[in-house]
Amino acid sequence: MLTSEKASGSVISEGRLSMESFETESARRGRQLADLYHRYNIDTEEVDDVQSLPIRFLVEVGKVGLAKYIFKEIIHYKGNTEVILSRPCTYGVFSGPVGGFSPRPHLCVGCLRCTIQHPEFVKVLPNPERLSLGDSYTTHGHIAAIDEEAKKGMVPVRGQGYRGRFGGPGFDGMLTDMSEIVRPSRDGIHGRELIGTSVDIGSKPMHLSFDEKGEIKGIKPKMFSIQVPFIFDLPPGNLGTEKLIRVIDSTSKGIDTLACVNSSDVERMAIDSANIIPVLSIDDAQKSSNFPNARLIQLDGWDSSAVDAARSVSDAMIGVRIKFEEGWQLRLDSAVNHGVEVIHLLADLHGRGEDGQFVIELFKEAHLRLIEQGRRDLVTLIGAGGIVGADHVPKSIISGLDAVALDLPVLFALQGRSDGSLVERAGVIGNLPNKMDEGWAEQRLTNLCGSWRNQLLEILGAMGIREVRRLRGEFGRSMIVEHLEDEAFEGIAGYVGGGN
Amino acid sequence: MTIVKPSELLIEKTTNLLHNGMNARAFGDFGAPEALGDARWTDELILSTWHMAETGKIPEKLNFKTGNSDGGFDRLKFQFLDESEWVEHSEKISTKLDLNRRGDEKNKISIDIPWYGGGMSYGSVSINVMMSRARNARRWNSFISTGEGGYPTELREVEENVITQVATGYFGVEEDTIQAAPIVEFKYAQGAKPGLGGHLLAVKAGEDVAKLRGSVPFVSLFSPFPFHSTYSVEDHSKHLDWIETINPKALLSVKVSTPHDVDMVAVGSFYAGAHIIHLDGGYGGTGAAPEIAKKNIAMPIELAIPKVHKFLVAEGVRDRVTLIASGGIRTADDMAKAIALGADGCVLGTTDLVGLGCTRCSNCEGGPSGRGCPWGLTTTDIELQEWVPQDWAVQRLDNLYSAMQWRMRDILRKLGLDDVTQLRGRTDLLQYIPKEASE
Repeated sequence: MLTSEKASGSVISEGRLSMESFETESARRGRQLADLYHRYNIDTEEVDDVQSLPIRFLVEVGKVGLAKYIFKEIIHYKGNTEVILSRPCTYGVFSGPVGGFSPRPHLCVGCLRCTIQHPEFVKVLPNPERLSLGDSYTTHGHIAAIDEEAKKGMVPVRGQGYRGRFGGPGFDGMLTDMSEIVRPSRDGIHGRELIGTSVDIGSKPMHLSFDEKGEIKGIKPKMFSIQVPFIFDLPPGNLGTEKLIRVIDSTSKGIDTLACVNSSDVERMAIDSANIIPVLSIDDAQKSSNFPNARLIQLDGWDSSAVDAARSVSDAMIGVRIKFEEGWQLRLDSAVNHGVEVIHLLADLHGRGEDGQFVIELFKEAHLRLIEQGRRDLVTLIGAGGIVGADHVPKSIISGLDAVALDLPVLFALQGRSDGSLVERAGVIGNLPNKMDEGWAEQRLTNLCGSWRNQLLEILGAMGIREVRRLRGEFGRSMIVEHLEDEAFEGIAGYVGGGN
Repeated sequence: MTIVKPSELLIEKTTNLLHNGMNARAFGDFGAPEALGDARWTDELILSTWHMAETGKIPEKLNFKTGNSDGGFDRLKFQFLDESEWVEHSEKISTKLDLNRRGDEKNKISIDIPWYGGGMSYGSVSINVMMSRARNARRWNSFISTGEGGYPTELREVEENVITQVATGYFGVEEDTIQAAPIVEFKYAQGAKPGLGGHLLAVKAGEDVAKLRGSVPFVSLFSPFPFHSTYSVEDHSKHLDWIETINPKALLSVKVSTPHDVDMVAVGSFYAGAHIIHLDGGYGGTGAAPEIAKKNIAMPIELAIPKVHKFLVAEGVRDRVTLIASGGIRTADDMAKAIALGADGCVLGTTDLVGLGCTRCSNCEGGPSGRGCPWGLTTTDIELQEWVPQDWAVQRLDNLYSAMQWRMRDILRKLGLDDVTQLRGRTDLLQYIPKEASE
């Protein structure tokens, strides 16, 4: 496991350099750092399905038609088995013991060669059960992508171009920029190897003050780093079982990120650690003292006295979870005024605030609000809600976040289904596989994180940005389809603006 | 399982079944396959393309004009004149396009239709597909691009119609194939995966493919991104000078994707010496690309064309450069709209493949079988590639192009124009279909 302390090199910060020993000492420390250096990577490994998604296609073969066809071929080709037994599928759908009489639709990829070649008796149909997964926002496409990413841990690669709608609502309406010639690095295949995905959690002081002894005056910054710009959020709805919590705990340690867990669960399961964020209600702020190993504790809502109470009993950073409900801006301002270092912003699972605004706009408003106040670097913004695709991570960061929190992707990565709402967190009724092995589950979550990190590297590589921290708030390196349409279609009869 | 070259009898059986099946579907004998099509290429658009490839005519009962993507070309239509003002449909309506507008001493090249074939390398497609496209290009006095995979010797017989592509991996780039090329194309980026380079998976890099690319068989091949010799527009200019030294007569084409500053990139390329600026939009085709790249990086071509066109006009150089658009252009109607938005002409890739039977199943990169396209298009599998006989494929592409040229003329005449060059930048002839109108 790679710990944040090692990653930041803080473990060798013994003593201060003096001018007399500067060269030799700095060289020695440099060597020490180099010896500690380890290129961060998430080790992925393909795992088997436990509760597979419904198959993509249904394959229907008319048995009578097939029998007649084979009989005709036997006569026509005079028993030439190479020709008669040739099958219209390279994927093995008709390669079972009795061929087309018992097709194997789970192998079908939808090339449709069979139904073109034999339209009289072969049909390939999209499976309605699969199409019914998810809802209007978290579509069956998102769920299938997450399932594949968690299974293989790879970047999904396919042939042919884009198949979906032009632009679209929400995150689909944002495009990331690319650079024709600028690259983060000329080394390696694509220079991706040198792109950093670590982010800082906490407050960056605008300046440091030192006393006469050269020690930092006042409260020392508690900032720490995690290796990926995503953390695990509180499992929504009924998902927060002990088993799942153990899985996200071990996964977050394995990839060096954080996991939000209800404080009562942290205590009951005795999992207090640097990678766990205990989440307490405002009324329980005093219980922050029960988590001596936590680097970050979150209070569920903003209340200055609760933050004070938590601070009085804990050395951990105290963060605040703020929902995008009426008055959130004032709560954000108050919390930052009060020195809260981490704000966890929450939209619903469709990425909407109470007023219906999408998170791109909401994250942007929060980010710009703090910039206008000159306080953006004093606080870490984490956001959650509506993040169900790998592209949503960089797009959220472009919108102003430091990191995102994952909720529903955990359910689908573990091949769970939801019988409840996919809009309201509390309404999620998730069904995880009955015989979910924790090692299997940890590997699947690790695979998902590996895949999403690698996809983030693709985006950063294309943009020519060397570290994800520099992506934060880079609106200028994104494009909004509606704005582009305004520019392109202005003056065309019937175009009224805003993509309409 | 050992894959062997199929017998003549098996080739005959399979191709007959496939070709008859396509014909039957295109003529509505069995309806559209239930699982066919997507928002960009609807079932009707695919079947209408098959119909045109079968007959050389546009279909009467299928939508051959637009997809269902809810934006871009699919929300634009032409404001045709009253029927009394239409020009008579005739071969006199010119679809010719000059590619050298700089007025320099290089090749004076005109193509008979305002489009040519985009780069698909040997390896990403079979030799049959590559040769079919090239032979069809010769029939139409147009071009195809080699893509980045070298220059199979078979192409020599049609070298007047082949653009040699130089891309970031320099695979198969040789002095003699640059000298043979009327046009040399620098591929800086590809619309489907802008900023990410190219990738030929190991299963498709067989012995012949590897030999041509100077690589080891069955080892994945990456084209890095970007050109590691280009840090600036001045370096880009040196690239073009290098080609000019080897082949002083060749036109220079620069293929780029569509970032935020695509207008600046285009102007820079012009001043560096490019005759053709080729924009490849974000919805373009590919043999293999990360799914995240396909819709999220860079802009769709519909939005890039007017941006670049207007900038070139403002810079005062618009008439000295040919602006070619590609990436998500599917039909003659799309091409006409692209030209009305400001392009001079277009490049087609996926349309050619659909004409030859592609159903856009997205398994070009190998798929679960590891053998590539089950239709024999984007594969070098020794069995599968036999499903695309060259003569059949050339005729289908010829038919498809005939129908598309007919439709292009049909659009022009209904706008009162008799030359495709008159359509360029005429956004006043377009109409946007508001979203509420179709809901």
